[in-house]
Amino acid sequence: MSFLHIHNVHKRFGDTHVLKGIDIAIEKGDFLVLVGPSGCGKSTLLNMIAGLDAISEGELLLNGERINDVHPSRRDIAMVFQSYALYPSMTVAGNIGFGLEMRKVAKARRREAIQRAAELLQIENLLDRKPAQLSGGQRQRVAMGRALVREPQLFLFDEPLSNLDAKLRVDMRTEIKQLHQRLGTTIVYVTHDQIEAMTLATRIAVMRGGELQQLGTPQAVYDDPNNLFVAGFMGSPSMNLVTARITRHEGRLVARIAAPAGDVTLPIVRDRAALEAWCDRDVMLGLRPEAITDPASANREDGDIHEATLEIALVEPTGADLYVVTQLGGRSINARMRPGAPLSPGQSTRFAFDVSRMVAFDPETEARIRDEVPATPDEASTGHADSTGNADSTGNILGQNA
Amino acid sequence: MSAGATVARRNTLGRALLYAVLAVFAILYLMPLYVMLVTSFKPLEEIHQGNMLALPDTWTFAPWREAWGSACIGLECSGVHGYFFNSIKIVVPAVLISGLLGAFNGYVLTKWRFRGHKIVFGLILFSCFIPFQIILLPMARVLGILHIANSTTGLVLVHIVYGIGFTTLFFRNFYESFPDELVRAAKLDGAGFFTIFFRILLPASVPIIVVTIIWQFTNVWNDFLFGVSFTSGDSAPITVALNNLVNSSTGVKAYNVNMAAAMVAAVPTLIVYILAGKYFLRGLMSGSVKG
Repeated sequence: MSFLHIHNVHKRFGDTHVLKGIDIAIEKGDFLVLVGPSGCGKSTLLNMIAGLDAISEGELLLNGERINDVHPSRRDIAMVFQSYALYPSMTVAGNIGFGLEMRKVAKARRREAIQRAAELLQIENLLDRKPAQLSGGQRQRVAMGRALVREPQLFLFDEPLSNLDAKLRVDMRTEIKQLHQRLGTTIVYVTHDQIEAMTLATRIAVMRGGELQQLGTPQAVYDDPNNLFVAGFMGSPSMNLVTARITRHEGRLVARIAAPAGDVTLPIVRDRAALEAWCDRDVMLGLRPEAITDPASANREDGDIHEATLEIALVEPTGADLYVVTQLGGRSINARMRPGAPLSPGQSTRFAFDVSRMVAFDPETEARIRDEVPATPDEASTGHADSTGNADSTGNILGQNA
Repeated sequence: MSAGATVARRNTLGRALLYAVLAVFAILYLMPLYVMLVTSFKPLEEIHQGNMLALPDTWTFAPWREAWGSACIGLECSGVHGYFFNSIKIVVPAVLISGLLGAFNGYVLTKWRFRGHKIVFGLILFSCFIPFQIILLPMARVLGILHIANSTTGLVLVHIVYGIGFTTLFFRNFYESFPDELVRAAKLDGAGFFTIFFRILLPASVPIIVVTIIWQFTNVWNDFLFGVSFTSGDSAPITVALNNLVNSSTGVKAYNVNMAAAMVAAVPTLIVYILAGKYFLRGLMSGSVKG
């Protein structure tokens, strides 16, 4: 039995179907990030776990117990809100201790607990202040302190970093991750920021339009997306997606992509069995920018490198990397090259494609074309311990476990 | 000459004109108060000399003493002080209870929404538009049935009922922008319906509480129509007593006493404005949520 089990959960507001049967199961100590564009229902799902929104259909199990109708305060859950939601008239200590006070914890024990939480978050010197006297980052800490002090079974975070400036956001992200590692707590975290999702999660649930698109480890979601949406949503810069024709060339299955200076032909090595059926048809090919490099920085050990000459349209140095834009399949695609490479627009150069990382999608249904059908989220939780011996290490979204 | 200097000069000129206009209106507005004050400190003979705007030649507190303690209202000659305390007895519970009920209504109408909450609010709001005169007869009947006619208690009830519409409107609009997340956080923390109201919302409502107190205090204190309709004799509020005082003086009109009594009737609302006004602009909500 998994620790938190969201089983076929629906949410309807009148005629609008906001959540259409969500199935997610996580284990104790997992850091689940619900990610998706705004309006995908991730916050609604979080509120339903908290008990602040009613569940229209389906079941919510925490530690094996059905909590659908349990009052929010009795679910043993704490939540950090997007706006921090600090009580304006109380001091920081009052804010942190309010939950304990409501649970009739004795004053002395309460003070101890507040002190402990404050030390953990390094806000001991702020305990007597009012929320109005705090900076954004400090308010964020107090909000976390309020959740931590109760030592709940499950923490919920609703876009906690979205009100902070960019620098502070990265710092707090690190701190949240450290806190999770130190305390081993179970966390459900909502964000629309895919980088936050990648860095924090042990499991990512990508959502769109009230439906779960994919559930898996960050690496699995990144390397082995279920569909075109997940492929495009995760990763920055995002995955290159081009139209390609699957054909047979000298007995091998290849993908032919139109390019200004003659077609580029890349051999199919991944999901070959499934793509056999697509011979002489168009597919959508996806390749991450880091899977298209200059020949010198190509990963020849694990990868399967094929080179082609293309004309550079644009060069974008970021310091750490050099992104090179070129035309392929009628689209601009991004390649990540070694910084300082002597490249300039208009010049033709060799591009190294790692075809072992290439994924293909059905252009009509936007579904992934792949050899094995991935396990359903239900099996995901049970298959947690044993990494099923799949031939293709990335073929199964559960391939690598934390 | 630079364009900047011209603009600056035009600005100073505009400022001067603006202040002049403001000053004229301020003087115009304060004139009656000034006349009341100086008249109340003059002996009667000086008033009869006719120079209304002049400062008193001899200052005297006798008119104030008389107004407070010995002026005749009807047949009773003990001044307005009894009626002053009547008004206090009416105003304090009426303001507190109507304010609390309004705050409570606002809380429920924004944070515990139920089916038809808009209609309920609309109906409550509608009571703000009912003219005083319309409810005089039905209200007299109700007070009679409740056996609180001709009492300050009855008047308190009238003012509470009449005030709820306004206080609900104030608090509802204030709580409308009060972040729901605070209520949700408190629910998760284990706070119940009343705890959330008294511990979270009410302490953060100082600005609107002040507005409500000023509004309700002024309205109830200055009310004449309800007072004159639903009370008589000893239980009348000061506004009614003031009217009776002015009307019951026989022979020579004691303008100085009347003015002193009028000042006594006006001072509490002035004090409320002065004391509460400074809280008006204080935003206590800052810091609870982002920014």
